Amino acid sequence: MARADRIAFVAPRFAEGGTVGGAETLLKNLAEHAAAAGRQVTFLTTCAQSHFSWENTLPPGRRKVGNMDVHFFPVDADRDVGAFLRAQQQIDRGGVVPAHVEETWIRNSVNSRALCDYLKAHGGDFDCILAGPYLFGVTYHAAQVWSQKTFLVPCLHDEVFAYLGIMRGMFGGVAGCLFNSEPERDLAQRLYNFPAAKSAVVGMGLDAFEADATAFAKRRGLAAPYVMYSGRRETLKGTPLLCGYLHAFRERTGRDLKLVCTGSGPIEAPPEFVDHIIDLGFVSEQEKHEAMAGAVAFVHPSVNESFGIVLLEAWLARTPGLVHAKSAVLRWQCQQANGGLWFRHYPDFEEALLRLLDDAALRRALGQNGRAYVERAYAWPAVEQRLFQALETIG
Amino acid sequence: MSDQTFEIKTHGVDAEKLVAEIRAVAEQKMADGVYADARIARAERLNLANLRNADEFLNFYLKCLRDAAFVDISDFPIRERRAFLGPALVALKKVIWGLLKFYTYRLWSQQNQVNGLLVTAVEGVDQKYAAKIQALEQRVQALEKQVAELSKVGKGN
Repeated sequence: MARADRIAFVAPRFAEGGTVGGAETLLKNLAEHAAAAGRQVTFLTTCAQSHFSWENTLPPGRRKVGNMDVHFFPVDADRDVGAFLRAQQQIDRGGVVPAHVEETWIRNSVNSRALCDYLKAHGGDFDCILAGPYLFGVTYHAAQVWSQKTFLVPCLHDEVFAYLGIMRGMFGGVAGCLFNSEPERDLAQRLYNFPAAKSAVVGMGLDAFEADATAFAKRRGLAAPYVMYSGRRETLKGTPLLCGYLHAFRERTGRDLKLVCTGSGPIEAPPEFVDHIIDLGFVSEQEKHEAMAGAVAFVHPSVNESFGIVLLEAWLARTPGLVHAKSAVLRWQCQQANGGLWFRHYPDFEEALLRLLDDAALRRALGQNGRAYVERAYAWPAVEQRLFQALETIG
Repeated sequence: MSDQTFEIKTHGVDAEKLVAEIRAVAEQKMADGVYADARIARAERLNLANLRNADEFLNFYLKCLRDAAFVDISDFPIRERRAFLGPALVALKKVIWGLLKFYTYRLWSQQNQVNGLLVTAVEGVDQKYAAKIQALEQRVQALEKQVAELSKVGKGN
C-alpha cells in the first residue's frame, strides 16, 4: 500500500493546557510525532475543554500547533442532555438495550456536525483518518464519513458501552484498528470478532527521563514512605478503593504510609485518612517524575484501562507498579515488564505492599525491569515504526 | 560486590512467581482468620463488583462482615485532652453519658440484633444456593455421562 503522507486525526478534545485525558494525549502525541516524521498532519477536534460540560470554550477556526494544522469545531448546541443521560442510565444498568435507546444515546452524545461536514468536504485530501476514543459521538459519526480509510484508535474498555450494537457496527465498518495493548485487541476480537489482519498494537511512545528519587520528599519535608497515584480521581478509576485500602493498611499494620496524588477531581477517602494524602493537583512533569521516583510503588487501582500511560511513566522513574488484577491491560503490562505486582483484594494488597515496603532490592529490581521494558517497547522510534507500518499495510 | 548482587536480583525477579507466593500467603492467612476484620469489610465494599466470580472470597467477606456487623456498645473511658478545666469537663461528660447510656444502649443493641440477623440471613441464602448449585452441577455431570454413554451405544449400532 502507498505511504500515508496526509493524515487526519479526529478527537473530541485537543490535549493542551488544562485539557488532559489519556486518549486525547495519546492521539495528540501520535499526531505530533507523525508530523515531526514529515507527514502532513491535520487534527480535527472540538472547541470544548471540559469533559463534564462540553461547553465550547475555545474559538472555532484553524490554528497552527507545531507542525500540525489544528481545526476547532463547535460541539452541537442542540444536544438533548436529558435524553442522553436517560439513555446512558438505561445502558449503564446492563442487559440488552433496544436499538432506539442506543441511537438516542449516540445522537445526543458529544457531536459536531461542523466537524463531520468538514470531513465530508475535505476527507478526500487525506490518505487515512485516525479517530478515537470509541465512545464519543464525534468519533462514531466521523468514522462513518470515510470509513474505508478510517482507523479507529478506540482505547477500548470492557464496559457496558462496548457491548452496544452500534459499536459493533462502527468496528465492523472501519479500515482498521490501532490498539494500545494485546488485551485490548483480544477484547475487540471477543466483542466484535474483529479480524487480526485489520488490527495492530501501536500504543504511545514515552521519552525516557532521569528523576532524583529524593528530591520530592526533601522539598516537601516528607519523612514517611509513600505510594503514588496519578490521573483522574473518581470511582471508575478506583481511587476511593485505593484510599479505603490504604486506610485499612495503616490501621492494621501500624505503618505510617502516605498517598501522593497528582491529577484532577475530588479525592473520596475515609475522613481519618485524609490527613495522610498529599494532593499535588496539577504539577510540572519534573515534579511528577520526582514524586514517582521516590515512591515505594505506583498504585493503579483502575480495572478499566486500555493502556496505562502513568504506569509506564512510573517505570521510567524506576518505581514498581502495584495494579488491580482485574485490569487485563495493567496486569498484562506488569507481566510483560516483570515490573510490578497485582492484587485481587485487600489481603493480596496488604501482602504485596508489605513485601515492597520491606524489600528495597525487590523494589529496585521491579522498577529497573519496568524501565527496561518501556525503553524497549515504547520508545518513540519503535512506536512510529509500528504506526506507519500499520497505516501502510492494513486496509 | 553489591552491584553484582543487584544485577542477579534484577534479572532473577519473576513477577508471576512473586504474585503466586503472595497469593498463597494471603490465602493461608485468610484461612487462619487473620483478615476477618471489620476494617477490611469496609475497605472492600467498593471491590465487590470485581469479585463477583470469586466464591471463596465471598465466604471470606461474609466473615469480615460478621465482625463488622456488631457495633461495640461496651462502656468506654471518658477522657479530656484539654488541660484547662479538664477534670470538670470529664465529670460533666460522665454525667451526660450516664443520662444517655440507657437510651443509646437500647438503640445500638437493637441495631446489633438487626445487623446480626441480616448477616445470618445472607449467610443462609449463600449456603442454600451453594448447596443447590452443587446439586445441579452433580446432576448435569450425571446427565452428561449418560448422554456420552448413549452416544457410544448409538455409534456402536
